[in-house]
Amino acid sequence: MSFNVQSFIEALRSAFKYAPVTLELTVITFLVSLVLGTVIATVRHYRIPVISQILGVFVTVYMGLPMMVALILYNLLFMTFYNDFATALNISTPISEINPIYIGFFALILGQSCSLSEAVRGAFRGIEKIQYEAGYSIGLSKIKTLYRIIFPQMVPILLPGMQNSLIGLLKASNLVSAIAVTEIMTGALLPSLLYYSYLESYVAAALVYWIIGIGIEVLAHFAEKRSGQYLRRINSD
Amino acid sequence: MIELTGVKKAFGKQEVLKDVSIKVNDGEVVVILGPSGSGKTTFLRCINFLERAEQGKMVFGDKILDLKHVKKRDILYVRRHSAFVFQNYGLFAHKTALQNVMEGLTQVQKMNKAEARKIAEDALSWVGLLDKKDFYPAQLSGGQQQRVGIARAVALKPDVILFDEPTSALDPELVGETLEVIKKVAKMGITMVVVTHEMSFAEDVADRVIFMDGGVVVEEGKPGEIFYKPKEERTRQFLSRIIPQDAYVI
Amino acid sequence: MGSYFSAERFINVFPKIISCISVNFHIVLWSMLLGTILAIFVAILRLKEIPVVKQILGVYISFMRGTPLLVQMMIAFYGIPLVLGNVFMNLFGINLNRVEPVVFVEIAIVLNEGAFLGEIFRGAITAVPALQTEAGYSIGMTGAQTFFRIVLPQAFKVALPHYGVDFVGVFQNTSLVFTLGVVDVLGKAKTLGAATGHTLEGYLAATLIYISFSLLLKGVFLFIEKNMKNGSAPAI
Repeated sequence: MSFNVQSFIEALRSAFKYAPVTLELTVITFLVSLVLGTVIATVRHYRIPVISQILGVFVTVYMGLPMMVALILYNLLFMTFYNDFATALNISTPISEINPIYIGFFALILGQSCSLSEAVRGAFRGIEKIQYEAGYSIGLSKIKTLYRIIFPQMVPILLPGMQNSLIGLLKASNLVSAIAVTEIMTGALLPSLLYYSYLESYVAAALVYWIIGIGIEVLAHFAEKRSGQYLRRINSD
Repeated sequence: MIELTGVKKAFGKQEVLKDVSIKVNDGEVVVILGPSGSGKTTFLRCINFLERAEQGKMVFGDKILDLKHVKKRDILYVRRHSAFVFQNYGLFAHKTALQNVMEGLTQVQKMNKAEARKIAEDALSWVGLLDKKDFYPAQLSGGQQQRVGIARAVALKPDVILFDEPTSALDPELVGETLEVIKKVAKMGITMVVVTHEMSFAEDVADRVIFMDGGVVVEEGKPGEIFYKPKEERTRQFLSRIIPQDAYVI
Repeated sequence: MGSYFSAERFINVFPKIISCISVNFHIVLWSMLLGTILAIFVAILRLKEIPVVKQILGVYISFMRGTPLLVQMMIAFYGIPLVLGNVFMNLFGINLNRVEPVVFVEIAIVLNEGAFLGEIFRGAITAVPALQTEAGYSIGMTGAQTFFRIVLPQAFKVALPHYGVDFVGVFQNTSLVFTLGVVDVLGKAKTLGAATGHTLEGYLAATLIYISFSLLLKGVFLFIEKNMKNGSAPAI
């Protein structure tokens, strides 16, 4: 067994240097997707005509598309059509100056919004009708009821799923390496171009991902503790 | 004959059974009453080892068992010679009523399917549910589920049937039909230990009533004695909250 | 626009690409088969709460769930020949460096599934109410009888939807294998694109194929779940 510790440490350093890219991809995508996903779920939950049907079909079909295929396809479409597109809109930025990370964001946000919308729909199903009725009965508008009464109660239902979603997103962000974005894994590989130490790089990358994942779990643990307070019964007799 | 002596059990720091001794003779119907937290359900569950007592001795038929160091073989023996009717029915959710009653007969008593089916159908018909034999628990009302549970217990021909608040989870209008079936069981002469809140039922059916409170047996005697001439203050207090004052002569 | 996409090229290339779906299926079926078996062991061992084993499994599950599959496949591909190369050479005369990459891909997925499915199974078993187990004991069934006849069938119903989602996920994850040179649907699209200089048709074909088969698999599982509903919905 010849595992080169020196190149492992180099790879580790390089991986950490690119961790911000991964974190950026993960966190920003998550926040944006949460908003978009909630909008989609709310529209579908209230069965707003036409739009909910379209969204329904779109979400169902889109979730059949693997992230890797999506990334490669969007990248290709972008490369193919950008120039025509730019001339049509009089954009002067040459294609080489556009950071491929935006394609990554696009694909990740699209995918995550669909899957989060499903999670939010599930949470909607977990709230009893009486909560809506209680809100309306004291005069709250539909929208006010939604964000003062319904959404807050959905949070503890959503949290465990959110943790899984976030970690899933962390791992999916790894795939942007296929469209020339340097993240943790490709970052870890940079030193290995000199040393041919692929294994050490991949192990280093795995370690960095693992650490971040554990960090997310810890944060989620605290969030769960705080959010479900009102659900806890006080032990009687 | 079943006799437990000196039973002690704690859940963490909470002592639920402090020193309980109860004897049940063959063919007797013993009813255990008491407020919540008195330990009566825990005691019942100790009999067939759904809870494990920390101390105590049990005589079960011709077996003498040390509850602290009881062997797996003996636990199995007791469970195979007793039956338990749960407060929340305890029917196997993925099996029909008929399959529920047959399960113990085929898997534990090793009967062949045809024989087991006959006995199971008889038991279901005895509780008035033969027409529901192919229904799943989720498709039955609470009272019906409970009666299937009783059929399951009776079909096993156990030495004793243990009832854990059999009607507490039922809607009021379903309590009556279930109690009628339990009375039928008593009439058959089977040994029964029943934990319940239903006073008039206890009066009708019990040979002996035991009052428990705070993890100990406070008083026991015939129904007439306990309900109308309780000796202990605690018994009087408990009964006064349940039985209207004028039905009760000191 | 016309020169970028040609229907003729698309029709030409589609059959070649879809013929590679057998590679994807092969990977999914073998990985899920072995992965499920592994997961059952993992779930049971975790539930039994054996001191050292529990910790080791905890670390294993945390690692598999916390690291990307692509990285895991690479570690398997480069690491296994390195670590076990000598053992396999001396004991079995097998040169691990000559083994096809698809094997390492499958190993990585099996280990992954052992962790994910293991947690799904463990959750499903714990979801069966304790009352069911007690009822089994109360009629005198042994622990094993109660587990296999009462708990497991009910746990299976709880696990099925999650298992289905995971299964489709594994199918979608096969889109990663081309990075190790395996010629599956996406891999074929890539090589054809490189060979002919026209990549769009191939990738669109791959997109279509992945979406259709994912939806098909989802449909199959929904159908199975519907038929397992006996006894769950009230007739009243």
